[in-house]
Amino acid sequence: MRQSKYLIFAILAQLVVSPAFADPAPVDEMAWLQTMALAARQTDYSGVFVYQSGGHVEMSRITHVFDQNGEHERLEGIGGGKRELFRDNDQVWFYSDGRKVRVEKRQIKRAFPALLPEQLTTLRENYLVTRVEEDEVAGYHARAVVFMPRDNLRYVRKMWAHNDTGLLLKAVVLDDRGYIIEQYAFMQLIVGSAIDRKWIVPDHSSAAGIAQDTQAPPPPKVELLEESSGWQVDALPPGFKKILEMRRPFRGNKEPVIHMVFSDGLSGISVFIEKVREESYIHSGLSGQGAAHVYNRLSGQHLVTVVGEVPSRTVIQVGDSVRYAGQ
Amino acid sequence: MKQEISALMDGELFEDQADALLDKLKRHPEAQQDWENYHLIGDALRQPDHICRSFEASFHERLQAEPTIIAPYNRTSQRIRNFALSAAASVMALALVAWLSLQVGNEPAPQLATVQQNTISSVRPASSQADDYLAAHQEFSPSADVRGAASYIHAVSGR
Repeated sequence: MRQSKYLIFAILAQLVVSPAFADPAPVDEMAWLQTMALAARQTDYSGVFVYQSGGHVEMSRITHVFDQNGEHERLEGIGGGKRELFRDNDQVWFYSDGRKVRVEKRQIKRAFPALLPEQLTTLRENYLVTRVEEDEVAGYHARAVVFMPRDNLRYVRKMWAHNDTGLLLKAVVLDDRGYIIEQYAFMQLIVGSAIDRKWIVPDHSSAAGIAQDTQAPPPPKVELLEESSGWQVDALPPGFKKILEMRRPFRGNKEPVIHMVFSDGLSGISVFIEKVREESYIHSGLSGQGAAHVYNRLSGQHLVTVVGEVPSRTVIQVGDSVRYAGQ
Repeated sequence: MKQEISALMDGELFEDQADALLDKLKRHPEAQQDWENYHLIGDALRQPDHICRSFEASFHERLQAEPTIIAPYNRTSQRIRNFALSAAASVMALALVAWLSLQVGNEPAPQLATVQQNTISSVRPASSQADDYLAAHQEFSPSADVRGAASYIHAVSGR
């Protein structure tokens, strides 16, 4: 009797306290990650966010609308020259000082959300996922989750998401010593239907605009590879699985470039392999932008480039382990 | 060995220990690789805009491509030696400056007339090249999923 009373008390306590508690229920946090991925796509919102990495700070105004035609997005840089970007699902238009400078179209439709159930399992194997204190970001209640890697080959991530919709309000990437590598947060935000939609069908997607675009040569084709190209990566950190391998045109190379994408569910690592062109200067070394690092290395007649939102030691380790194992 | 290398880099070895280790480094190429890797990681932690991987090797290569300065031997050898040394130093400085100028900016870098193009294997402006790969990677990266449009922030920043 005494025991069952205790049990009832425990259940009640759980019900009352759990939302504000650091509870060790990783399955729930994984579902939350799915919700966040869905919210990034399906929530209507408008606001100003700030991105900071090292001494580098950028601010942007963003408006995102989801309707029967899919996603519509507008991004404006604040400060400096006026740069703007419009996105309709897979098509992106870049503007600079009111002039269209570039059009891009994603050729491979991504499965969405990109986190597959088996990836959620590997995520749990490679990160300790915990919910931390609730917080307020840009005036909204946020639920914070920390992804603590079990090795030093990936970064610590802390994410704050809107309690009601799951929209990501703030994200911080930290290294294994607790230094902030990059962070991004909304400073001002409106979530919901009261969002200006007048910009959604502007001239950038009108027939005239598209006709003008088609004068440019048709975008070269990306070819997905079912079978391995023969290139092998031996020293990926545990939990990184290959999600795609393709042959893609790249930077005016005559020959297509092999692009492999690996993911541990949270971070991505891309490996590019291309034939070295005689006339080109190959820059081998390491560079970075926020949490992302780029490392390249010559391997015989090929240039291997590794890009990922992982520490520099990881891109070096991966890059040094790429070899050709085919015929 | 790796611990010793790390201690050496941190200046924690006594002089005789350091000498012994440096001796070992000369004999073991794989240890030399560790030494280079540690420095590369150290550089990366300091987060400069660009870090060069095999700086020594490429510098050596370019120096090899420089014309040899031949100074006739005569009695004023000391003076000529000084001149040759300072000339060599300025050639090196020039090469270094040229190399550095190739590391920064998107402009096609000026070529030194004395350097044969086909011997260079290590220079290309970092930023625009890296940006292309970053953009191609971003398209498929899982971190773009929860971030949504914020993944495009670099495209609209006035950078």
